[in-house]
Amino acid sequence: MKNSAQKEFKEDFQLEEPLAPKKTRFQEFWLIFRQNRLAIIGFFIFVLFFLSAIVGLVLTSGQDPLFDPARIRLQEKLLPPLAKPNLDSLAPEDVPAIGFYLMGTDDLGRDVFARMLQGAWVSLTVGFVAVGISVLIGIFLGGIAGYFGQHYMRINHIVLASLFIFGVGLIAVQSPHLGAACLVLGFLLICYQALTKRKPRKKSMPSWTRFLFKNAISVDTLIMRVVDIMLCFPSFFLILTVVALLPASIYNIMIVIGLTSWMGTTRFVRAEFLSLREQDFVAAVRALGVSNYRIIFRHMMPNAIAPVLVSATIGIATAILTEAGLSFLGFGVPPPHATWGNILSDGKRFIFDAPWLTFIPGIVILIVVLSFNLFGEGLRDVMNPKLRERH
Amino acid sequence: MLSFIGRSVVQKIITLFFVSVVSFLIIHIAPGEPSQVDPMNPKFTPEVVERFREEFHLDKPLHVQYIYFYQNLFTGKTVSWKDNQSVLQKIWERFLNSLPLFIVGTVLTWTLSFPVGIRSAIYRGRLYDRSATFLSYLLISIPGFFFAYVLIIFVVTHFHVPVIGMETFGTGNTSTVFVVMDRTWHLLLPSVLGATGGIAVLSRYVRSQMLEVGGQDYIRTARAKGLPQEQVHYKHALRNALLPFITMFGLILPGLIGGSVIIESIFSWPGMGRMAYEAILARDYPVILTVNFVSAVLVLAGTFISDILYIIADPRIRL
Repeated sequence: MKNSAQKEFKEDFQLEEPLAPKKTRFQEFWLIFRQNRLAIIGFFIFVLFFLSAIVGLVLTSGQDPLFDPARIRLQEKLLPPLAKPNLDSLAPEDVPAIGFYLMGTDDLGRDVFARMLQGAWVSLTVGFVAVGISVLIGIFLGGIAGYFGQHYMRINHIVLASLFIFGVGLIAVQSPHLGAACLVLGFLLICYQALTKRKPRKKSMPSWTRFLFKNAISVDTLIMRVVDIMLCFPSFFLILTVVALLPASIYNIMIVIGLTSWMGTTRFVRAEFLSLREQDFVAAVRALGVSNYRIIFRHMMPNAIAPVLVSATIGIATAILTEAGLSFLGFGVPPPHATWGNILSDGKRFIFDAPWLTFIPGIVILIVVLSFNLFGEGLRDVMNPKLRERH
Repeated sequence: MLSFIGRSVVQKIITLFFVSVVSFLIIHIAPGEPSQVDPMNPKFTPEVVERFREEFHLDKPLHVQYIYFYQNLFTGKTVSWKDNQSVLQKIWERFLNSLPLFIVGTVLTWTLSFPVGIRSAIYRGRLYDRSATFLSYLLISIPGFFFAYVLIIFVVTHFHVPVIGMETFGTGNTSTVFVVMDRTWHLLLPSVLGATGGIAVLSRYVRSQMLEVGGQDYIRTARAKGLPQEQVHYKHALRNALLPFITMFGLILPGLIGGSVIIESIFSWPGMGRMAYEAILARDYPVILTVNFVSAVLVLAGTFISDILYIIADPRIRL
């Protein structure tokens, strides 16, 4: 009896059409993306660039690489693209692996093709690592500002934070003793607060301590003011200054570009979080007692990630351009290593005799940056809910 | 209104203070010292280095140096460590050189991007729009230094005019017409280069703004009334689309001091950007810090002006 009722119920239920859309989200994305021909081209160039950078890394590094970007052949200098090497005057190990110079040679007779392959990896890592750093900082700060924004920092928090900052700063400058004292004092304060929180509070604190627990500034205001401060610096000039002062290395460039470009992401994420926080699904999750951490990363972040992805794609293009500009000015990756920027800046002296030394890196940078920009714009269209409804 | 102005001025001054602290710390905590910039120079004996450090307060603790520096800056006594000239004087001279570049570049940007943007919004999806879109992505993506060389080669080989520097050397006693033409040719390329990125971005922005306004109900009403297309586009749509650009007027202010480092060094144009670049190379901290400070002031003033303009222009904003 009971069984048959259950069966009936089941059949009843199956009669209805499945309510979920037939297309998955990915298929939907692809439908819109496919219509933007420029974005498709951008995407394929992007994949091609990615692959060639990885292949380039494998072929040009190691003890005895297939394409040696640093091999100097003084008798073969400034050969045009597709030129055949002069086999009579060249030692057999100096002959390029493919039998001719695909992109010519530079003023020291180095194979430009090998150098371009090596430079591709530099551009790729600079782009991705710099943007990775800036996106991480942006998501972290923007998430805090958007989600915990209405919480207030109390004066004791500020005192603690400034104690720690001063401590680290003083150690970094000259006086480690004073700095260590600051750090120890801060640590003691934390311990003291943890202890007093555990115990039930005694009758009353002295009146001056109450001042310490006043609300000073909301987290949101604090983070947004930091963003304002960062936006005051002229970005290329700041990057140039810091890179010029620090010892030349590729990692410094990545880190500096990353640390000076997170403000846009922070603003996006904050704005998205502010609107998402008020929505029903977040209230529902919160009512279920899910932890803040899980709400932020499992439920809110996937909904806020779209504009971040778009700006990250375009940010990679900007970072590649910035690195090329720095290399061009001579502040880039130190010399034996080839990057597109310094191939161009070395080649500009021979612009009339050997125009390929300027044009090949210039056009390659242009194509790669263009593909990133077009792909990013295509992504923006895909993520745009207004466009999605139409299909 | 008054309270808004007061609050934002106070806020901007606080921001400025933190900017000054941060830039000071960045420069002074970075490894290396200005006194060691040329260690191989035999004239740099330890006594000279010591005197140098004492002269510029480099032997004092950081916070004392900070106070010294900004005290000097506000009383106008800051001197460059390289040549002992007044920094403000130096900046002013270089600023006057950069000014023509800035003016021509800005005029080009604003006069070219509006027609292009409006036209591609009107012909949305047609050939004109698509080619303008592609062209603007091309202009955004092209590395400035590469584009500069392409243009230099083009101009030099086709028009046979010199373009490097501010003027051709040794044209002292030629006719005025020649001098004017010479200056114009020298000015043209760097300002076009400075404007390319701006034209691309701004025309895209004009286009999207026009499209957004074009979807509004009152535009449909205007069309339904049977108004001529010209009037709909230029009177009803454009006027409302212009609103956000008022704020951008404030934001071009920081460009005054920015002066592109790369373009000015390619064209050996003695402007702000090049001075900053030379100062970085020589570790001339007063110049670097002053340029940074002035540009921060300009950024803050720019946002302030654009806020005020927005309040004046948009009656929906009440304070």
